[in-house]
Amino acid sequence: MYGAISSPGSIQFINLTNFKSMKKNYLLNVFKLKKFFSAKKMILLLLVLVINSAFAGSQQALVTGKITDLNSGAPLPGVNIIIKGTTKGVSSNFDGTYSIDVSSPKDVLVFSFLGYTAQEISVGNNKNINIKLAESTQQLDEMVVIGYGAMKKRNLTGSITSISSKSLENTPIKDVMSALQGRASGVQVVSNSGAPGDGITVTVRGQSSLNSGNDPLYVIDGVAVETTSLSLLNGWDTHGLNPLADINPNDIESIEVLKDGASTSIYGSRAANGVILITTKRGHEGKANIKVNVFTGLSKITRKLSVLNASQWREIIMDTYKNLDDYNNKTTYADAHWTAIDSLNPMNSGDVDWQDVMYRTAKQKQIELSVTGGTKNAKYALSTSALDQDGIFLASNFKRITSRLNADFTVSDKLKIGYNLSYAHAVNNRINAGGTGNNSLVQSILVRPPVYSLTYPNGDPINYFNGKRNPVGLAKEATHLNTTNRVIGNQYLEYEIIKNLKFKTTLSLDFISMKEDQFYPTTVDYRAGYNSGAVRATSNQTWANENYLTYVKSFNNEHNFSALVGYSQQEWKLETTGLDGMYFASDNIRTLNGAGTISNQAVNTTVEHSLASYFGRLSYDYKSKYLFQANLRADGSSRFGKNNRFGYFPSASAAWRFSDESFIKNLSFLNDGKLRFSAGQTGNEAIGNYTSQGEFALSTNYLDNSGASPTVMPNSGLTWETTTQYDAGIDLTLLKNRIIFTGDAYLKKTSDLLFAVPIPETTGFGYITQNIGEVQNKGLELSLTTYNFTGKFKWNSSFNISFNRNKILSLPEEVLTNGYIQNGTYHILKEGESIGTFYGWNYLGVYSRDEDNVNHVRMGSSNGKEFRGGDPIWDDLNGDNIIDDNDKQIIGNAQPKFTGGFNNDFSYKNFSLNVFFQFTYGNDIYSNLNMMRNWVFAYNNVSTDALNRWKEQGDVTDYPRPIRLDPLKNEYQRVSNRWIEDGSFLRLKNITLAYNVPEQILNKLKISGLKFYVTGQNLVTWTHYTGYDPEVSSYSGLRLGVDDGSYPQSRTYIFGLNVQF
Amino acid sequence: MKIKYFKSTIIVALLFFAISCDNDILDKAPVSSFSGEGFYLTTSDAQAGIYGIYNSTQGVFRTNFAYWGEGRADNVKTEQSGEGLTLIQNNLNESASSANWSSLYTMISRANYAVKYIPNVYGEGDPAGNQLIGQARALRALAYFYLVKVWGDVPLITEPYTSIEQDIFVTKTNKEAVLDQIEEDLVYAVNNCTEKYNNNNDRIMINKGSANALLTKVYMWRHKYTEALATSAVVLKNPLYSLVSTMDEWGKIFTDGYSKESIFEVGYNDDQTNSLRVLYAIGSYAIFTPSEKFKASYETGDLRISYVYDTTIAEPKAIWKFLGKGVSDEDASKSHQNIVLIRLADIMLLRAEALNQLGGAANKAEALSLLNTIRTRAGLPAFETEETASTQYGNLESAILHERSIELCFEGQRWFDLVRTGRAISTMNPLNGLSEESNLVWPISTTVLNKNPNMEQNDYYK
Repeated sequence: MYGAISSPGSIQFINLTNFKSMKKNYLLNVFKLKKFFSAKKMILLLLVLVINSAFAGSQQALVTGKITDLNSGAPLPGVNIIIKGTTKGVSSNFDGTYSIDVSSPKDVLVFSFLGYTAQEISVGNNKNINIKLAESTQQLDEMVVIGYGAMKKRNLTGSITSISSKSLENTPIKDVMSALQGRASGVQVVSNSGAPGDGITVTVRGQSSLNSGNDPLYVIDGVAVETTSLSLLNGWDTHGLNPLADINPNDIESIEVLKDGASTSIYGSRAANGVILITTKRGHEGKANIKVNVFTGLSKITRKLSVLNASQWREIIMDTYKNLDDYNNKTTYADAHWTAIDSLNPMNSGDVDWQDVMYRTAKQKQIELSVTGGTKNAKYALSTSALDQDGIFLASNFKRITSRLNADFTVSDKLKIGYNLSYAHAVNNRINAGGTGNNSLVQSILVRPPVYSLTYPNGDPINYFNGKRNPVGLAKEATHLNTTNRVIGNQYLEYEIIKNLKFKTTLSLDFISMKEDQFYPTTVDYRAGYNSGAVRATSNQTWANENYLTYVKSFNNEHNFSALVGYSQQEWKLETTGLDGMYFASDNIRTLNGAGTISNQAVNTTVEHSLASYFGRLSYDYKSKYLFQANLRADGSSRFGKNNRFGYFPSASAAWRFSDESFIKNLSFLNDGKLRFSAGQTGNEAIGNYTSQGEFALSTNYLDNSGASPTVMPNSGLTWETTTQYDAGIDLTLLKNRIIFTGDAYLKKTSDLLFAVPIPETTGFGYITQNIGEVQNKGLELSLTTYNFTGKFKWNSSFNISFNRNKILSLPEEVLTNGYIQNGTYHILKEGESIGTFYGWNYLGVYSRDEDNVNHVRMGSSNGKEFRGGDPIWDDLNGDNIIDDNDKQIIGNAQPKFTGGFNNDFSYKNFSLNVFFQFTYGNDIYSNLNMMRNWVFAYNNVSTDALNRWKEQGDVTDYPRPIRLDPLKNEYQRVSNRWIEDGSFLRLKNITLAYNVPEQILNKLKISGLKFYVTGQNLVTWTHYTGYDPEVSSYSGLRLGVDDGSYPQSRTYIFGLNVQF
Repeated sequence: MKIKYFKSTIIVALLFFAISCDNDILDKAPVSSFSGEGFYLTTSDAQAGIYGIYNSTQGVFRTNFAYWGEGRADNVKTEQSGEGLTLIQNNLNESASSANWSSLYTMISRANYAVKYIPNVYGEGDPAGNQLIGQARALRALAYFYLVKVWGDVPLITEPYTSIEQDIFVTKTNKEAVLDQIEEDLVYAVNNCTEKYNNNNDRIMINKGSANALLTKVYMWRHKYTEALATSAVVLKNPLYSLVSTMDEWGKIFTDGYSKESIFEVGYNDDQTNSLRVLYAIGSYAIFTPSEKFKASYETGDLRISYVYDTTIAEPKAIWKFLGKGVSDEDASKSHQNIVLIRLADIMLLRAEALNQLGGAANKAEALSLLNTIRTRAGLPAFETEETASTQYGNLESAILHERSIELCFEGQRWFDLVRTGRAISTMNPLNGLSEESNLVWPISTTVLNKNPNMEQNDYYK
């Protein structure tokens, strides 16, 4: 056995625990890989556990056999084999074989497998039973997880998208949320950046809130987990971190996205943005199933952006001076005196494309082990994984170790208990990849003048020059380390009080401990001997206790009732501690004890929040033909004023399986058809913990004297944002189950928006949070799964597409300025428009000659400068021949017209191929990055577009003349559609070719399964967008579709193998 | 059967007992801050509230003391674009950062809270409480004084905002009414503040002396010379204050702070920093450098010059007065010097002005003597008589104002001196074309106008 594992064992492991060596040479050793523990040891450990459990089984007559596909003859792993009438069962191995103990020849074995028609075989005296299962392509008997329970997919009355582990198996993924990308209709998943471990923005059915968060609620095995970024040292990276990066995606059994009001209202006050239920794998009775998965891969930047070379750049800089003299009507030109154009100066003699210096081919690898199995009374699923992923940007890296144990015990006929425990340790070595300024690496390497030399004549690196930090120095020498430890635990007890009436109680914990270290050494600062560091330690605890009774009753298999009633309480506590320091004795000691000066601005705060809830559900169906369901949740939140604490969130839904009606039943092409209708209310309580009470903040100090001052004006009348949603859907299964179609139309209206309304500062406050305004989302979601070929050559495909239209229905008069709310630099919020509307000047081109400005349009005011040849033609909206704020207009929209995905699985004999496309259409991107890349006045390097710039009277071009100091705001300081581009794209997101090693070879190797695969990710993206990548996220709330030059997406090639014992 | 049910019942009862609902968990008061209702309950709260007001003064004056007090006057020029240039060229518009008054109203709001809620802690009339209220009212007066000087008519708010039911969209109040409120607040502070703190706080916090000095400045602004004489006399007699004698000590008034000449300065340190470095002494050129006119206005032999700006080069790139002689561009220390708002030399020269305005031989003689005290300290000859001063500067008032321009240069006094004495237009017109009285105030910032539909732009900027 060991021989077989030696190949994964040779994969080098990561040093995450032994940080001592860092002291010696911090810089070099941080990212060095060392053998951590060998895979062998880990397997041994797991085996001990497995063997123990195997001996716990009983010894009776053994039946063995093999299960194969009726059509292809391929072995079927994972088939459930249960002795009818008992809970005893096993599942088939990788090669389709199974063995099960039966107690009597009268036992009947039930063979069932997802997507296949179940078979029952009476054992008799057979010792060997081989079974050929026929594919049913009928997936409606699948169970899906819903809030506080599970139900048959065919009986759903609400709108839920379910993604099973089976559909994820074909692509190696590193985090949970990217698994959803393009696969679930109505769910928009956007990576905030290509940085490993970075945040991801998930939007379910559009943005419904203006101020209070648009993130869905995430529930992992019944635990509502923290998903907001806890990272505090965001100076480097405004994206935050993705808390779900702590979850091992291989642990996932299924992901359900609850979308409509009926499905989500059971989660009440936090469900307005949808609910994502993640269920992890659990053990089943039977022989232990041991799996080892490893993969390794390489990533590269998908494209480079154009920059000028040294001589082109010197030329444009000289042009800016000449143009300034022109602008000032000087007849003789002054010499450009800036030293950067002096090519003889050794500091300025370089010719560097900084992208070549900063981007690299990055390695990644992951190893994962899991053991599942169990006896009748004790079942387990144990897994561990380790990921080591380099970023394509110099020195960035993400490492993660996860471990999980899910255990279930049957104590007696009535009592079941169980435990889920997961632990994750992640170390993220980040770089600054977003935002603006001297610390932003992605941006600064593009705009860094090509003439800057890499080193001094003596070979020393130039780390700081001319007000600009050297990105190489910054990446290699500065520290921004984020270390997270996370434990999610959940224990349950389920007791059957009387037949059909069950009581379940759970106690859960989500504990995140995060430490961040930041350090800027002297080498990257202009001040002699100045270095600075900061540390933040954050602990976030969420406790929850949930208790509920469920009752299920069926009369004659015709009238089916079920009921649920429960109570839950949940408490959050976030504690933060931090110190800043400077003048460290050495750049090598980076902990704060080395700081010469500790800043007075030490951080130590605690905030709390709690929720108490009652919930209930009633379901009834008649022969699965007429189905009804009603939910109610009452949520009380500590965030609201005493009289407004409780919110009530009801919902109702109904479905009609028309295909069971006698007048339709005979339609041979229709296998199943169901209409669904639902209405429901959900809420949003995502405001500050103490906003309604008003707040006096500390640390408004005067020198060493502690001060306090009012920072939040109280508003005791605050209450929930309420979202009311209507949904109508249809589920169809056609042509002998070969076509499965689901369509949903919805209307979602959110009122009483929690909005930080700007108020005059004469009050002493800038904002007060009020319940105002309405936002609407309406849309259409279609998904189609087809089984195109089902013979030896198989091809099935699934396609989904979602259309969402967002609209702000009302905003109160008093919060509007000129009819809208300015929302950050680029966007406005306006009645009748959608969230994500860009607002600015309309760029119409460039005046070819002075006399082309026939209306004598001026800049700013009636005595402003007249625009001349080479200046931009701005749309003079009000026709007053003055370009000012009154000419601003809507110039774009970040909302896509539709998004979706197209997945294809092919298989032939032992080969399988997955091809997955993802697309987005009709959204605009505001490229702040391109603006920076054409900002000559800041001595930035610029794109090669500038080679077409206007140079003299009569030039016809769309690139204006650059003028030193930019007095006409030609290039900068103007939000304009010059920087807006179409963000539509079609992406070949994933392509995987896998080979399952045939049985004969497996037998020789004495293993039960072996699969090799190669994957390419982000191989091709078809887009008109000129930035690094059109997948641009709104990392902070409503700032949709702005490209600040975040960490680029990469193209990745992965090779992996899965072994099963 | 029965026993079975009994057992079940017990178990269920136990379970429900264990999880019995407790809605108290929904009462979450802030842990690391105070709730709106949870503050101003103890004497330490009251003291913390007062420090909170001082904290806001740091923000108010960090940059604006120079934008407001120097930017539009004749002592500075600039090599930079940006707000400095806008001010110098008299191109002010409503997007200028110095046109935004929000930090002043933050200061006022904090003071209004203190004035309203401190009596609840101490009870009406308690001297310890009144001493704190006196500071709050003096700081409120300081904020309103700058509001009136910079914008003219401004909203007068003396009650804290605790509910959205209050009038939020306020309008402007006549500046004379605001000035009356300022005087009332300062008289209260003079009567109730402590005589002295016996430590450095005497320079950075309000006591009777600083309240009197501020009141003197308000009276002078209103041309109430008799009242100014009375209050300035009290200041001059206050043993806390005396002139420094040597030029090295004079330099340290600004670089080190807490000098015996200082009456009120805004305290800063390495964490609570200001913009002095950026304003006066950073990089290739600071925002403000000394104007040609200013450099030429020095009399020969003035010992102060080399402490004020970089005299080693013909074209000074830095003003040294605040960060110290020879301060380096690449100096790693932060901009931590206190900003001196009122000092004895300022009050002495104001008193000299008041005496001169009131006239009479005795008054004139005292005025001349006060002026000569400042002159001789700087190594300049005393004016023997009013005539010698007049010969050189036209009249005694001009001589005093010239002395203020030199002695108090770059301290944020010059523009207000020009406006107060009616010389702003005559002085600035040749330099930047300033020509209208209504242009002497600042515009009201767009952000202010945008948030308040009832707020009207100042006439000149409409």
